[in-house]
Amino acid sequence: MRYFIFFCLFFNSLSLAQEALTNHSNLFSPTNVRKFADYLFTQRDYLRAIEEYQRYPSILENDTVNFKIGFAYSEIGHNQQAAEQFLNTSSKSIFFDLSKLEYLKSIFKENNFEKYRYTFENLKLKENYIYFQKAKELFYFSYLFSDECLPPKVKFLETFSSNQNEISKFYDWKTDPPYKSALTAVILSSIIPGAGKIYTEKYADGIIAFLATGILGYISYTDFKAAHRFRAWVFSALTAGFYGGNIYGSAASAFIFNAKIKFDFIESLKNFLEKNNYFIPKINF
Amino acid sequence: MKFFLIIFLLAIAKVFAQTDWVKWGKANYSYELPNYIERNNYSLDEKNWERNLLKVTADAYWIFISDVDGDNCSFNPTCSHFFVQSVKMTNIFQGTLMFFDRFTRDSDIFGKVGMYPRVKDGHFYDPPSLYLLDKNKINYFPPSAVVNN
Amino acid sequence: MQNNKKIFFTIFLIIFCNGLKAQDALKTQFNFAKTLYENEKYFDAITELKRLIFFDSSKTYFYEANKIIGDCYKMGGKFSEAILYYANSENAAISDSEIFDERINQIRVNILRRTTDRALMMLDSLSSDKRFLNKINCINYWKGWSYIFSDDWEKAANAFAKTDSSSKLVAFCKEVHSKKYSISFATLISHFIPGAGQIYAGHIWSGLLSLGWNVLWGYTSINAFIDNRIFDGIIVSDLLWLRFYIGNIQNAEKFSKEENLSITNSALHFLQFEYRGVKP
Repeated sequence: MRYFIFFCLFFNSLSLAQEALTNHSNLFSPTNVRKFADYLFTQRDYLRAIEEYQRYPSILENDTVNFKIGFAYSEIGHNQQAAEQFLNTSSKSIFFDLSKLEYLKSIFKENNFEKYRYTFENLKLKENYIYFQKAKELFYFSYLFSDECLPPKVKFLETFSSNQNEISKFYDWKTDPPYKSALTAVILSSIIPGAGKIYTEKYADGIIAFLATGILGYISYTDFKAAHRFRAWVFSALTAGFYGGNIYGSAASAFIFNAKIKFDFIESLKNFLEKNNYFIPKINF
Repeated sequence: MKFFLIIFLLAIAKVFAQTDWVKWGKANYSYELPNYIERNNYSLDEKNWERNLLKVTADAYWIFISDVDGDNCSFNPTCSHFFVQSVKMTNIFQGTLMFFDRFTRDSDIFGKVGMYPRVKDGHFYDPPSLYLLDKNKINYFPPSAVVNN
Repeated sequence: MQNNKKIFFTIFLIIFCNGLKAQDALKTQFNFAKTLYENEKYFDAITELKRLIFFDSSKTYFYEANKIIGDCYKMGGKFSEAILYYANSENAAISDSEIFDERINQIRVNILRRTTDRALMMLDSLSSDKRFLNKINCINYWKGWSYIFSDDWEKAANAFAKTDSSSKLVAFCKEVHSKKYSISFATLISHFIPGAGQIYAGHIWSGLLSLGWNVLWGYTSINAFIDNRIFDGIIVSDLLWLRFYIGNIQNAEKFSKEENLSITNSALHFLQFEYRGVKP
């Protein structure tokens, strides 16, 4: 009976020790740190995950870990560090090709589009590079953000394998944006007060400008007619002020309209890229 | 019920992990309520006599009229501040034209909602920098934005 | 035979001690994390506590670790995250006392982030919970603080009065309440006497100026109507008299609110930096 008891206790403590040695005996062992880092990564606690991965050089010898670090930097907006991480990927790594693409994406996300195009050309990616098409799509898409001349439409659109309709609309917008002319607004407002504002889609402001100039002008006219000279000149001055202000405001309104159009365009480009993950395949870790 | 609550809370934890994407330390938060009240600056420390004259006129208007007749301007800066800032940024003639244009926009009886972004106290954000006829100085905010003025 | 028994027993002891080592590692980790928290390294403390939770398969430290993570987030001003982890801690609580403590922690954070309606709702549910009948003092104490943060000093004084040991807070809240201006009274008297509300709120110059303008434009427009200058009367009364009259009422309300905000903020400043009792 005693031997039986000892036997049971022996195996019980053996299993306890087994668990202790493998899981709990050293929370900061490279194995455990890697497990914890992977857990943090799945929880999207990227900054902590990066710090854990970088705790031991031995962990960094793993391709997947290095790629995850770059991915985490990219997700938290540290694009420069992401770019450095991806650039340092070894050519023997299974993520080498994808890292090149992610490196280009990190530069793109810094909003430095000239640098992106320069880097793309300098990398001299071969056409048989598995992600050459993706990088090229991003290369051409970057033209939509900058003020440089766009390539010809046919050449531009044939780069993209999908969403050609949407991208065609972006291209058309870029070549012929629906801006309003400040000069046209000024001329319209000079002829009919408020017309320039209506031209720039500020309908309420245009009506108010028309009414203000009209009513004050009428009051001034009636005062001159009734020989109330002082009041007539006061209202004339106000009429002139509102008239001049309406012309100036129409020009300013055209500038603001154009700024709004450009802002909306850039936002729609950014939303398109986010929706399509910058043309990069989504990774399932 | 506890199980679903835990799952729900763990799901939220995923979202809230995003606040830890920047290293942070102890916060010095205050019990006090935020104070969005803006007071006029009546000081006269301008460089030349024209600007001082403009400031004296503006101060007199603020003290005797504007501070007494209530909150009539739905914009930030108010029309009088807009005029002072416009003249400082440009000249008296251009500043006056900008002011008359602003007065027209302020008289909009059809409502300005959906046309201008707002500042924290609820006024519409409409600075003079948008009206300098210089596209490089226009810092555009969409109407849905709340500007930290 | 006796020698074999000794060998068996020795091996058993060695392996059993290794098992004990597992719990030591977790305890060491917990103490390490706690030290980081005490040294105000909250971000790192959270990392170490998350590590502890990850490896604590038997959930021995689940309650305390989540509690301290909640404390770290609270000290970092990240109130929503703090509430989340206090809730996790509450779910792992074993005793009623622990559940109560974590609920109070959530209430305190709700007070700090000014979601006082939520705090009061939680306090009401605690006071109707039979398990916590002996904690009514504590519940009323935090009700008082909830009312302070929702700027209702009278209710705060009433809540503190129901506790055993908060007489100083009762007196303080009553004093703050008595100092505050009545906004409705200020606007009401301004309807009848232009400028009166502003003078009541302590802005004498503004009140007198407002009275002056109202008298001037009122006299001008009434004069115009008497002289049958209807258009002039309408213009003066609409564009000038009405503007200053409405402005007077707006200013009465605005100045009262400003003064009340100043009183509230100095009271809150005192409570935060000079009051020695338990605070949110």
